[in-house]
Amino acid sequence: MTLRGLHVAGEDHGPLDPAHEPTGCRSGGIGYPQRLSADNPLVDPVTLAIHATPAFVASAVEFVEATTIVLAVGVTRGWRAPLIGTFAATATLAVIIATLGVAIVTIVPELLLKGVVGALLLLFGLRWLRKAVLRFAGIVAIHDEELIYQRELAELRAQGLQRKEFDWIGFLVAYKAVLLEGTEVAFIVIAFGAAGGTALTAATVGAIAAGVFVIVLGAALRKPLTMVPENWLKFGVGAMLCSFGVFWFAEALGMTWPGDALSIPLIVAAFLAASWLAVRMLRALLPEGARVEARNV
Amino acid sequence: MFRSIWSTLVGLLIEDGQLAIGAILALAITWALANAGGGSAQQVVGWVLLAMVLVLVVANLYRAGVTARARVSSARR
Repeated sequence: MTLRGLHVAGEDHGPLDPAHEPTGCRSGGIGYPQRLSADNPLVDPVTLAIHATPAFVASAVEFVEATTIVLAVGVTRGWRAPLIGTFAATATLAVIIATLGVAIVTIVPELLLKGVVGALLLLFGLRWLRKAVLRFAGIVAIHDEELIYQRELAELRAQGLQRKEFDWIGFLVAYKAVLLEGTEVAFIVIAFGAAGGTALTAATVGAIAAGVFVIVLGAALRKPLTMVPENWLKFGVGAMLCSFGVFWFAEALGMTWPGDALSIPLIVAAFLAASWLAVRMLRALLPEGARVEARNV
Repeated sequence: MFRSIWSTLVGLLIEDGQLAIGAILALAITWALANAGGGSAQQVVGWVLLAMVLVLVVANLYRAGVTARARVSSARR
């Protein structure tokens, strides 16, 4: 399916060849978005939404973790230093995304990039999916934001605070948390946006929207976002990352998916079904309340 | 970003080693199939990759479940 024209009926140069273009999905399709170009700057809302949603959900998970720590610092030690730390980390991340992201999508050949990013997305997604399934099955403990928040509060209170000086501890803790979680967001944006202009724009919009949403919610509630169903999000995002990985890797090898991007929901459904089957299977295998460290399974 | 990619790869290889190796093998098989099989093979490689990864996920989690059950049983003894 191609929303905006620009089909190129080029020669077949083989899979992962920069000159090779999958039939029917040259720049412009949802699954093969167009690179930035002066003659086609418009992004239609459907394409934008499809590419922005996975980035939004995946980034929201990371933002929740960063917001929990910044909230703990702010509540314990005052808001000035952690907010400066957060802005400093955000600026660092913007530079990373602007330089690396744009350089990658403009320099590396499209199909090669799609193959590499597809493989990385699949590996990244499989890890999320596996952990989410193990958590749903009760084998690994569910990530507890409230516990993390309380632990962070206790540690910061133990370190004390001298009111007259700039709170470097608060600054560094917030900077580190936002930078580390933010690098994952940067990876998500670059991975989902690796196909070029439309995808990069959409992934960036999705990540920014997630950041604004989580920060506003966190600021309004002034407590960790425990109501965010993190494992459900990780489960869904894991399935989406795997699906995009399979979709892009196969496209890079020269495959044209039936209906182009319309195949993606089908692939996502297949991953969700297999994961659901795995959760049922694990629950049947293990006694109630039996928890094991993730590293040991 | 590099830290994220690195921790993912290390995490995959150390914590989820068999899953990572299986996924890399599945990608390699898919690539080989697309290159050796010609145009018709190229049009099915995505489904082949999907099938291999789904089987891999279920098999890996089944193995994780069996391992966890063995650990729980030995801990309770």
